[in-house]
Amino acid sequence: MTEVVGLRDALIGQIDACAGGAVARAGIDGDAVDGVVPGVVAEPATPEAAAAVLGWASEHGRSVVVRGGGTKLGWGAPAGSIDVLLSTRGLGAVEAHRHGDLTATVQAGAVLADVNAALAVHRQWLPLDPPHAERATIGGIVAANDSGPRRQRHGAPRDLIIGMTLARADGVTAKSGGIVVKNVAGYDLARLLTGSFGCLGVILTATFKLAPAAEASRTVRVTLSEAGRIDRVAGALLAGGSTPTAVELAWPPAAVLVRFESAAAGAAALAEQAAALARDAGGAADVLAEADEAEAWRRHEARVFEGEGTIVKLVVLPSDLSATLAWLDEASRARSIECALAGRAGLGVLYLRLAGPVPAQASLVRALRERLDPGRGSAVIRQAEGELRSLVDVWGPLGDGFPLMRQVKRRFDPGRILNPGRGPGGL
Amino acid sequence: MPVNAQFLAELERVVGPDGLVRDEGELSTYESDGLVSHRSRPRAAVLPETAEQVQAVVRLCHRDRVPFVARGQGTGLSAGALPHPDGVLIVMTRMNRVLDVDIPNQRITVEPGIMNLEVTRRVAPDGYYYAPDPSSQVICSIGGNVAENSGGAHCLKYGFTVHHVVGVEAVLADGETVHLGGPALDSPGLDLLGVLVGSEGTLAVVTKVVLRLLRRPESVRTLLAAFDSTDGAGNAVSDVIAAGIIPAAIEMMDRTTIRAAEAAVSPGFPDAEAVLIVELDGPGPEVAAQFEQIEAICDRNRGWGVQVARDEDQRARIWRGRKAAFAAMGRVAPSYYVQDGVIPRSTLPEVLRRIRDLEKRSGLTIGNVFHAGDGNLHPLVCYDDAVEGQAELAEEVATEILSYCLDAGGSLTGEHGIGADKACHMPKMFDEADLATMRLLRLAFDPADICNPDKLLPTPRLCGEVPGPYRAHPAEAAGLAHRL
Repeated sequence: MTEVVGLRDALIGQIDACAGGAVARAGIDGDAVDGVVPGVVAEPATPEAAAAVLGWASEHGRSVVVRGGGTKLGWGAPAGSIDVLLSTRGLGAVEAHRHGDLTATVQAGAVLADVNAALAVHRQWLPLDPPHAERATIGGIVAANDSGPRRQRHGAPRDLIIGMTLARADGVTAKSGGIVVKNVAGYDLARLLTGSFGCLGVILTATFKLAPAAEASRTVRVTLSEAGRIDRVAGALLAGGSTPTAVELAWPPAAVLVRFESAAAGAAALAEQAAALARDAGGAADVLAEADEAEAWRRHEARVFEGEGTIVKLVVLPSDLSATLAWLDEASRARSIECALAGRAGLGVLYLRLAGPVPAQASLVRALRERLDPGRGSAVIRQAEGELRSLVDVWGPLGDGFPLMRQVKRRFDPGRILNPGRGPGGL
Repeated sequence: MPVNAQFLAELERVVGPDGLVRDEGELSTYESDGLVSHRSRPRAAVLPETAEQVQAVVRLCHRDRVPFVARGQGTGLSAGALPHPDGVLIVMTRMNRVLDVDIPNQRITVEPGIMNLEVTRRVAPDGYYYAPDPSSQVICSIGGNVAENSGGAHCLKYGFTVHHVVGVEAVLADGETVHLGGPALDSPGLDLLGVLVGSEGTLAVVTKVVLRLLRRPESVRTLLAAFDSTDGAGNAVSDVIAAGIIPAAIEMMDRTTIRAAEAAVSPGFPDAEAVLIVELDGPGPEVAAQFEQIEAICDRNRGWGVQVARDEDQRARIWRGRKAAFAAMGRVAPSYYVQDGVIPRSTLPEVLRRIRDLEKRSGLTIGNVFHAGDGNLHPLVCYDDAVEGQAELAEEVATEILSYCLDAGGSLTGEHGIGADKACHMPKMFDEADLATMRLLRLAFDPADICNPDKLLPTPRLCGEVPGPYRAHPAEAAGLAHRL
């Protein structure tokens, strides 16, 4: 034991020496990732020091897992051992808000809600609304390409990112893109790193194009007596010229939330129009504003994302929504599993909460995947206890592009030190 | 191994006699793309009709380490489709079919040789369109758009090609076929599609593309206003952004380009120092409200000669003036060099002042067309080939403008790409570590360095053995080693 402690102290000393300051300490139970306590936790205060920690880890063949707000550490395959947990907590600055250009550069450890509070000074925002925005960091959101209901209008991180500085596994810092919204110079490594789950490099800063904050918001809540009408209602709302910022599905019972954000009079008029459309299509609709509206969206997020348990990201073509719900209804009943679902009706991106016997959950995930042809849908386990993740692969089939993904991983992280085994397909 | 008679015979077995071009004279058709100052004749050109033929050609090239370059309609402006003198040119124009139209899911699957505008034509009867609209959309192919991540006048609001391609089938440099993405979003795994779009044909040859379609906006309104200075027009753009409005397009033209457009297509633009074209689209009431704000902003910034398009004809006339601007320069100068740089939009007054000083200093007329919303500047440097040294001077002037863009925090290119044309400028924007990291990606896709080599990244062959930025070690180029 004394030997282990001595070794760990030596590592801490080495990391501190590389990073040019006291950044490392011993890992404790509270640092556990997926139940694995890291040997050392490093919390550098500058991007340069973060890169230096990687350089050290690479040289000594030590594994590194990056942690931002800690909201997504249960994703991916269960962790083996973790030598160094690299915390981005010390990298929380909004480096630049170029409001005249509608762009901002933000460090990886900045919390999304804090970033948006800072950008609000000029009535702008980074138009992302993933779960846990009060805790989730920019680095984590980008690494997971995570988004929320407003993806319908504004897209996902990969659609908004225009530049990045990253630390490679060997500690070399590199940049891609820049600070201008239109730019095709060089390979778009920022997009490559977006959604790479920390397995190619460590995001240090990211630059985004922003959106003006809307003056007003209204939400239409549509409730349906039968889930089979969901296609028709969502279809009617999307086919109109009204351009909602979100078109969300909740089930069961079946409901649709449609959000309009624009100038005050505009949002209200569009919401009334949409409510009328929804009623024509066979739903009961009411228009929500202010506190009622905020509460409806809070409950919508909580429906799937609050608490422990299994969450599956299920992607289908929008035209398959009704059939998917009907199938889920039957398949979950047959397996004594409780299902709750929320997601993007217009995009076919759904989040599914499962509760019930773990082997039955595994069987449901496998059966879901069998229904989905490559490129036409996917089911990825986003959060689950270890038992489920040992019974069924987290990612599912990755298609014929997977060998190429392995080549990219091999070039970027030849020593396999970055989030080893936890990237897509176990990269 | 060089392309010899046996290799040509093997190519012919794949694409048939009708699909192989080996005659020197016929090959001259392909010796440049839209940037005619770069010329190089390939050893052979093939015109495959199926993805299987593309794959078979690439397999042959890979077996014998023969470089290959894919080409669409050849409208590119950065010599990205410049043939390799020892290689094969893969001309994709015969692969131009629509494979599937899926209106409920807003998807269309096409072969890469199809024209950009043809995609919109196919779905227009259903009320849909394909958003990216480069000025060359009548003649440019989707495959080229994918390679270059093409934009267009409306990308301020709707984004670039990368935002509208959801899946591809592609043949890798070793002849393997991969499917990245698909009609459904968020295929699990690394976003290789996101980096393939805009890779200028250096990572793979795309054989099938799944595109996202958008519903036609309910309402479109277009306004043109004149200003007594480009600064005045620039201030109006700043006020639009500050008001929280994202127009579908904001374009600026200066006096030189206005006059040229007027001479060429008579769009009826006012004779002013600058004009702004602003287009709004979306739900009717929202567009109406924002349009009033735009009119007030133009008024406040001393805009005059305001023209509001009353119907589709008038809108088309305004856009004809804008889209003709490049070609129209031929009316005011024997030759011109089109530059493509990007600046943070707010630095426009400073950069335009530097361009005007340069104009005086060089004696060459420089017209400016500007995607004002997103900072993409297209200076047109006019010159006369008949005057000794003027072509070279024009190129120097255009290069100097690029340095102004970089000084302002901008980019070497907003939409035309790096290609062979700007590869040697890359070290001005990216340092050695940045370029070496990009090289890692290229090596992962194409360790043999046969897929459109000597494009996008600087190489010794292209840029000379000067000390400096980045030089691939032979072992590295062969894929035997790589830098960390």
